[in-house]
Formats: sequence, C-alpha cells, structure tokens
Amino acid sequence: MTESDPGVEIEGLRVAFDGVTALRDISLSIESGEFFTLVGPSGCGKTTTLRAIAGLTGGVGGRVAIDGRDVTGAPPEERNVGMVFQNYALFPHMSVHENVAYGLRFHDLGSERSEADRVAELLDLVDLAQLADRSPEQLSGGQQQRIALARALAPEPDVLLLDEPLSALDAKLRKRLRVQIKTIQRELGITTVYVTHDQAEALAISDRVAVMQNGHVEQVAAPETIYRDPASRFVAEFVGDNNLFDGAVTADGSSVAVDGATVPLPTGAAAPAGESVTVAVRPEAITLDDGDGSAFAGTTLTATVETIEFLGDAYRIHCRWQGRRIECKTTVAEPPTGEVTLRFDAADANVL
Amino acid sequence: MWTRDGRALPAGAALTLSTLAVVFYYPVGSVLASAVYDAGRLTLAPVVSVVSDPFYHDLFGFTAYQALLSTAASVVVGLPGAYLLARFEFPGRRFLRSVTILPFVLPSIMVAVGFLAMFGRTGLLNDVLGIVGLGPVELTFTLEIIVLAHVFYNAPLVTRLVTAAWESVDPARVETARTLGASPFQAFRDVTLPQLLPALLTASVLTFIFTFMSFPIVLALGGLELATVEVWLFARVQSLALAEAATLGAIETALSLGLIYLYLRFEATQLSARDEGRGRARAPLFAGWRSLADPKRLALFAYAAVGLVLFVGPLVSLVVESVTTAGGQFTLRYYEFLLAQQTSTASGTTRPLPAITNSLLFGAGALLLALPMGVVVSVVATREGRGTRLTEALLTAPLAVSGIVLGLGMLRTLVFGTTLFGYRITVTGPVAIVAAHAVAAYPFVSRNVTPALGSIDDRLVDAARALGADRTTALLDIELPLVVPALVAGAAFAFAISVGEFDSTVLLAEGVDSATMPVALERYTGNRSLGPNLGPATAMGTVLLAVTTVSFVLIDRVGGRWDR
Repeated sequence: MTESDPGVEIEGLRVAFDGVTALRDISLSIESGEFFTLVGPSGCGKTTTLRAIAGLTGGVGGRVAIDGRDVTGAPPEERNVGMVFQNYALFPHMSVHENVAYGLRFHDLGSERSEADRVAELLDLVDLAQLADRSPEQLSGGQQQRIALARALAPEPDVLLLDEPLSALDAKLRKRLRVQIKTIQRELGITTVYVTHDQAEALAISDRVAVMQNGHVEQVAAPETIYRDPASRFVAEFVGDNNLFDGAVTADGSSVAVDGATVPLPTGAAAPAGESVTVAVRPEAITLDDGDGSAFAGTTLTATVETIEFLGDAYRIHCRWQGRRIECKTTVAEPPTGEVTLRFDAADANVL
Repeated sequence: MWTRDGRALPAGAALTLSTLAVVFYYPVGSVLASAVYDAGRLTLAPVVSVVSDPFYHDLFGFTAYQALLSTAASVVVGLPGAYLLARFEFPGRRFLRSVTILPFVLPSIMVAVGFLAMFGRTGLLNDVLGIVGLGPVELTFTLEIIVLAHVFYNAPLVTRLVTAAWESVDPARVETARTLGASPFQAFRDVTLPQLLPALLTASVLTFIFTFMSFPIVLALGGLELATVEVWLFARVQSLALAEAATLGAIETALSLGLIYLYLRFEATQLSARDEGRGRARAPLFAGWRSLADPKRLALFAYAAVGLVLFVGPLVSLVVESVTTAGGQFTLRYYEFLLAQQTSTASGTTRPLPAITNSLLFGAGALLLALPMGVVVSVVATREGRGTRLTEALLTAPLAVSGIVLGLGMLRTLVFGTTLFGYRITVTGPVAIVAAHAVAAYPFVSRNVTPALGSIDDRLVDAARALGADRTTALLDIELPLVVPALVAGAAFAFAISVGEFDSTVLLAEGVDSATMPVALERYTGNRSLGPNLGPATAMGTVLLAVTTVSFVLIDRVGGRWDR
C-alpha cells in the first residue's frame, strides 16, 4: 500500500439476486483511516455493499480493492477484513476469550506477541477484561456487541465493517456505544465502513456519509454537507426533518411561486423561469414573528398552529398553511397558539 | 395455579391418570412385578435365571448389536440428506422435507412386506438384476435386510433433526468465521459442526432406542433365526411361557427406561439457541451442465439414486407386486383373494374385510380416547406449578414401554380377568386393543399440541382473563381454537398410529374376529397358498398404505410435527 491508496475502493459494483438488481453501478472511494457510513432505508443496498466488500455476496460485478490490493473475486478469508453483525454472531460454544482468539488461528502475529496477550489487549480496549471466561449467553446485549467488536479487531484487519451493530440495543446504550466505537476507531486509525438505517447515528459518528436508495448512491459528503446542502429531494427528506415546497420559478427567476406565496430563491441559485423546483427549509430555520414589527426581507407566511410537541430543549410546532403542513422548531419559552407568522431567510432554503 | 385454574384441569388430569392407571400402569406393573414376585414372596430368582443364561446374553447382545449397526447405518444414510436439504435449493425440497415424517405413520409390518417385495428372492431388485444378467441376491432372513429396513425408518429421523439444526445455524456466525480467516471447511468444522452435534446425538440415541425395541420388522424379515429381545418375548407369549416372558419384558423395560432417562437428561443439557438470523442462502442444486462437473453435486445425485432404491423402492414394489403375477402379468387375483377369503370360513384364516373395518373402528375409538388424554397432558406440560413435573412424567411414561410388554400385561390382567372388591372384571379383546392403541397414540397428540399451546402469547390469555373469563373458559375460547391445526395433526397421527399398531394388537387379537390390517398382513406373509410371491400380503399392504397415506397428507397439510 502506498500513501495515496484509498482504504477501500469500489468501482462499478453491481449485484443481482435472482435476476433482481440489488446494486447498480456503485463507485466509492473510502480514504485510509476514514469513518465512512452507508445510510439509507431498508432494501437500499447498504448491507449488500458492505457484504460485497467482505466477499460474502455472490453474483458481483465490478471491482473492489482494499488498501490498493485488488480483492475482486477473493473469498472472505483472504481479504483481511473484520466484520461485526447486527446480532453479534458470537460463537455460542466458545468462551469470550476463545471467540476473540478465533481469528488469531489464521493470522500470524509475529513471534514476540502471544495469543493470550493479544486477546487481553483487545478485551482491555473494550473494557471487558473481567469477562474473558464467560460464555456469550451470560453477557448483556451491549457486552456481546463489544466482544464482537474485539473479535473483529483481533487479527488486525485492514478494514472494519460494521453492519447495523447497534440497532438491537436500546436508545441510551446505543448512544454510549457509538461514542466508544468512534473513540476506538480514532485510536486505531482503522478504515471503517459502517452501515445503519439511522440517519442521526450516521451524522453523529461519521467522517463522511453515503446516502443510498434503490441500489444507488444519492450523495456522498461530510455529515454537515449532507444535512445543510442535500443533493436531492430524497436526501432532504431522509436526513433530518424538512419542509418541502413544490412550485414553479417566477418569470424574473428570483423566486418560486408556491400556491399563494412566493419563496425567494437564495442568491446564486438561479433557475430558468417556469421550471418546477422544490424548496426545502429545515424546521429550525423557520422563526416565529414575535410581533416586534421589525422589517424582514425573507419569506413570511401566516399559518395556524395545530399541534405542539415539547422536546425538552425546544418545541416542535406543527402548523397548517394553505392546506399544507409546516413544521418549525423553536426555543421560545412559551409556545404560540392560534395564528402565527412564520419567516425564513432565503439563505436557509435549499432549492432541489 | 391449581386454585386459579378451578377444578377443570385437576379433574382432567385425574381422569387421564386413572385411565392410564387401569390400562397402562396396572398391566405393565403386573409384568414388572412378576419378575421379582413369585408365589407371594419377593424373589430375584426369575431375573437371575435370565441374567445367568448364556442364551439370553446372546439375545441381548445381538439386540444391541443390530441396534448399533442400524444406528450407524441410519446416520450414514441420513446425514447427506440433511446436507442436501439444508444447503441446496431444488424443486420439491419442501415436499422432501415434509416427507421425512412419513415413516412415522407407515406401519412397520407393511414396510417389512415392502422390503420383501423389493429385496426378497422374487422381489423387484432381483427382477431388475436378472434382466441385466446379475444376481439373484439373497437378502431374506439376513441381518442386512433388517438393518436396511431400520434405515428406512430412522435415516429420515436423522435427516430431519440434523436439517433443523443446520437451518438454525446463524449464517452470520459462519460468515464471521470466514472474515476472520477461516476457509469454508474450517468454518464448517469450527462453527457449524459443533451446532449440529447435539441434534446428531439426539437422533442417534433415539434411533438406538427405536431399533433396540423394534419388533415387526425383525419378526417379518429375520424370523426366529435373527430374533431380538422383542421377537423372543413374543415367541414366549405365543408358546404360553408367560412367566418367562414377563421376566424378559421387565428387564427390557428397565433397559429402555434407562436409555430414555439418559436421553432426556442429555436433551435437557442441550443449548436451545434458536437464532433469529435470516436463513442462509441455499445453493441451487441444478446449475446447468456445470453441476455434472462438480464432485459435490455428483455425489448428491448418486445419493439420490440410493435413496430412491431404499425409500421409494419398497413402497413401489409393494404396490407393483400386489397387481403382478409371478410370471410378470397384470392381475387383480390378490385383491379378489382378499374378497374370497372374506366368504371362506376355513379355520385359521384371517378375513380381510373385517380386518379393515376393525382397523378403522379401533382407530376411531383410540382417537376418541387419545385426543382428550393428549390435550390434558399438553395443558399440564405448558403450565408452571407444583406437581406439574411429576404429573407430566407419569403421563408420558408410556412412551418408554414396548407394545409387546403392554399387550402381555393386558393379557395377564384385564383380558384374563382380575378381581377387584370381590367382583371379577374381564375386558374383551377389542376393548383392550382400543385402550392399548390409545396409550400408544396419545403421546403423538401431545407432541403436536404442546408446542402449539406453548407458542401462544400469554398476553392473549391475560387479556381474556382481564375481560372476565376464568382460566378454563380462556382455554376453551382462546387457546384451543388457536391450536386447531395441531389438534388435527395430532388426531391424524393418533389415527395412523392406531391403524398401524402391531405389537400389542398381535397379542390381544388372538381370535380371528378382532384381527386388524397389520395383523392380517403378518398372517398373509406366511401364506404362500397362491404361489411363491407375496400376493395377498402385498394387496393388504397396499390397502394399509392408502389409509396411512391419507393420514400423512392430512398431517402435512396442517403442518404437524413429530419432533419437539
């Protein structure tokens, strides 16, 4: 491997099951040491992509390389990957120690390191040294997950593959373990591909995110870009909450006519007059007019409050405007009722 | 729990237990007692005389030997079947999987006749070998044909249990091993095999128990030349050496109870890890011309050919022989013979039509008795509470006792008459037969109903109770309607078991009038008055095959289960 080789490179990946296309022409270049996440609804092809990297899927077209090594067509045992499954897949007839040691049977650690040392090192890494002699079924879900992680890391794989590793756990534990996974990944500097259906988890944990749908990639970018500047209507809807306005660009090309109102286009987002576009505005970008009468250059909508949700640190307010639902999120002390004036800046709107 | 359940369940359990006490525990107990009780004194003399007799050493030794051979052969034949069913996809896979329960409803005396028709001197195998200028192969009255017939019964059991274990192996575990560096073979050895072993051991122990106690197959295919304990026991009863038979029966029952105890202990220690993982993808069996170059697939095709001869052969031969003369012409003579015997009154012959009606009537009677008994056992087995374990054990013990011993016990007690409170009670043959059949059949009802009851969400019953239903009403209104398919499957099993029951029936149906189809079949096997082939026996066997196949189809349609 040279300095410039990507950790994982996928070119023109195609997978079909029983004649049904699961992946169409996926190309991704994942940097060495990067935490890269595949996110999308179920059936979008994210797990299939991960399994193709591991060599666990047949019927693959295209090319896969790990650290510059072309592994296309190689069986999984020759790829030097570590994989963690959603249900952990610990071997029930082996102790925790034996589970973690299993991969070391097939990998040479060099003469100065013993197997026992390596296992102890990994159990320390996941803070479970005291459980070495337990059987997997004596462990809680979170402990099983960490053992599965230690087992995958033991043979020093070139890439760590995680397939929904947290989705079987409860919300609190999930948040704690994702921080631990991220910390360990940083510490080891290992190239990591993470699969999840949870967009919030994807944004929280990743260096870069690929949003997938129907067997293709919609957008690859840093979490901030995915959230603030979605590349498609699908990404805008799937990642976070969004208010979407469909309309036609006005004659002067400066705004979009949506039913009765006009929504100004952000500067630089010029579109040909008459074209149908979608304007996306995040709930937190919409503010409530507090009635101080100050002038406002952006869009102003008069809506009716329907439902108010208290979120702890904010209120989510569901309004109705021209028969449409608009959601906004506000940190005001007292949520409004009845008729409200909503406003947002053109700069906070995305045109799709 | 008992108080909350009201009186219905204790009453049902008490009724079932007292039925068992009369038709099972008392007769079998009398057999066991006679081994240690002589002329009003406790004695070990009968047992000692059997244990110290070299003849009996050989008898028990041979019985264990043939059981061991049969177990080994069943595993050898059954394992590739599990590999085929668990790892490959092909048209008819589901049918093949469900057909592995068929042997449990096929009467073994009928299968024995099928084996004679297939592998006997004038059987289909020798006919085919003769055409190509080979043979004849003489398998009648050899150990080989006995083992083959035992394989017919037990290899599907091995296949079935191991397939289920194989299918429950989480594919993610195998894949994890692969990503950690294991080759396909190493992953199989380290991950899959350890999870198959318990199922394989379970199947082996069950096969050993079944073949150790096997009776009609050894009787019809081995005769007294190759007698096992059961066959010898039967011969002793026939020559009215009842005391010796009782001692033998007591020793055999003690042995089989010990084996079953070991089996249950072993079963309890097994991991019951059912994984929720997605099923591992099966490879297509037929992959175009490539499959002819793949040694794995070639071996499986060869295995399929062996399976065809061993499993389909005897059943097809049975039907073919029933409509073929010795010269190979089509004939309906044997079916006419069945009807002709009907009108003949020659002594010692068994009339076929009464045998058929007897079988159906006894089957219906046994069903009416076995169904409520089985349901009570299932309800007790799925409840927690004091006394549940003991009750369950008492209610399921009949599984461990051979039909011969039960039949012998019934002869000695109920049929020959017994004195109770000064009244002499005797039971006629048919009543005793129905009772014996019910005892043999109800475990199959509860084996079907128990898992179904156990899988019902407790909250459904809680909801019914919260709405005001008492426990028994909830059972009748909520639980039983939800397990109707299991009840139907259990009923079909019970009926088939009754129709095919031979062991106790052959002892209890000494008269001509209470013979059933399997008993008639055995008698026709010895009747060569129509020529050297098995004509009348195969005709009767075909009728029996038709009746039991209907039961199987019913069980299969409603998804019945034998194991677990």
